[in-house]
Amino acid sequence: MTPPPSMIRFENVNKWYGDYHALDDIDAHIAKGEVVVVCGPSGSGKSTLIRTVNRLEEIQKGKIYFDGQDVHAPSLDLNKFRSHVGFVFQSFNLFPHLSVAENIMLAPTLVLKQSKTQAKDEAARLLARVGLAPKADAYPGQLSGGQQQRVAIARALAMNPPAMLFDEPTSALDPEMVGEVLQVMKSLARDGMTMMCVTHEMGFAREVADRVWFMDQGRIVETGDPESFFSNPQTDRAQKFLSDLRSH
Amino acid sequence: MGDIIAILREHGPLLLVGQYPNGPLGGLAITFVLSVLGVALALPLGIALALARISPFRWAYWPATAVVYLMRGVPLIMLIFWVYFFLPALLGRPVSGFSTMLVTLVIYQAAYLAEIVRAGIESLPKGQTEAARAVGLSYMQTMRKVVLPQALYNMVPSMLSQFVSTIKETSLGYVISVHELTFAANQINSTLLTKPFEVFAILAGIYFVLCFSLTQLARHLERRVSRRRAGQTVGVTPQALATPIPATAE
Repeated sequence: MTPPPSMIRFENVNKWYGDYHALDDIDAHIAKGEVVVVCGPSGSGKSTLIRTVNRLEEIQKGKIYFDGQDVHAPSLDLNKFRSHVGFVFQSFNLFPHLSVAENIMLAPTLVLKQSKTQAKDEAARLLARVGLAPKADAYPGQLSGGQQQRVAIARALAMNPPAMLFDEPTSALDPEMVGEVLQVMKSLARDGMTMMCVTHEMGFAREVADRVWFMDQGRIVETGDPESFFSNPQTDRAQKFLSDLRSH
Repeated sequence: MGDIIAILREHGPLLLVGQYPNGPLGGLAITFVLSVLGVALALPLGIALALARISPFRWAYWPATAVVYLMRGVPLIMLIFWVYFFLPALLGRPVSGFSTMLVTLVIYQAAYLAEIVRAGIESLPKGQTEAARAVGLSYMQTMRKVVLPQALYNMVPSMLSQFVSTIKETSLGYVISVHELTFAANQINSTLLTKPFEVFAILAGIYFVLCFSLTQLARHLERRVSRRRAGQTVGVTPQALATPIPATAE
């Protein structure tokens, strides 16, 4: 049986900030439809790694493929490529001068050249999907953090990405708002979306992740299914990380 | 005080509109036209300079930086003389005092506005650009649709202050005989000969009222902008929105 085609593939990926080796020989892949949770202590390179996929961070060595596309191919139209990669930031980064609907419609109208009406219908559909249908005309400043992050997810989904990347999507949220965002992410996972999530939400990982990558000092030091990773971590580093995480 | 009122009654129109409608427009009207046109034309140039100043391309960065530093490092009056003597030589025909002054103000103000716009762009969170690029917007689309609308809105108070400076700077047009407000006051002074204190008190009064009210307007706008910004901070809860923002937060 041939393995399922990979959606994201890192081959020998290396990145340095000056002398600091931020990503050290990353070799890994995420299959179509797979949900991978990346965790690790701060400074371990997990955010850097996820940001290399749509080239918000450049790498110095190695190759990255997204949906079969070499991310660093000279012929790549970077803007067009990025529009296919759904990306959700820790700090939401909604555009505060645009309404919720306009936030979602911006890229579809500018990049995909959708008509205003088409983009608006699509925005309404996506807002309903993240449970915010009545907020189309609100401004981001009027929303709670959890609502803003759900709008940010809808904004990324509006480009119909084959995969979604989440960079600590719940880390900037008050605890009572984490659940509503995770709920949306879980429903995406259930719908078969390929997802790469940098997060420390163990409950989320246990429930929907197919695999967990544990990173430390720029390397993926341990991978496994969430159940065995969380209950029986193999490396000392992962054991210490998990016990630190639980003591909070 | 009686003298001042008498002067205003007699020469008020000269101060306000110059010899218009029997002669060219002048006085406060020209001061105002020069300032408005000066800033309006300087703004697009200033935005272009600002974009060049933050651009990663050396061929854009260096010339723009040189222009900005040069203009900010010389007195305006010297620039007026340069334009006054060089522009006619360059064009091969005489240039009116008004046009000379306008060109000077546009160049000079563009350099200052460029720094205001640059600061406005750089004060936006980096995440704004990243989010725009991440959904596939090009650099120019990001600037036009995401960065500049926010930066310019935030910069309205600073730009209004710059407008106030420009109003005061138009008085230097006097040295190349632009018929603006100061020129008109001086004309009146030359006619009356014995009332310099009253005439220049009127002049000071007009400038002050105009600039002071615009400065107040700028302050008012500044408060509005910071209130709006406060409402847009990350993670605002509905409760925080319902409570009025204390004055110290402004």
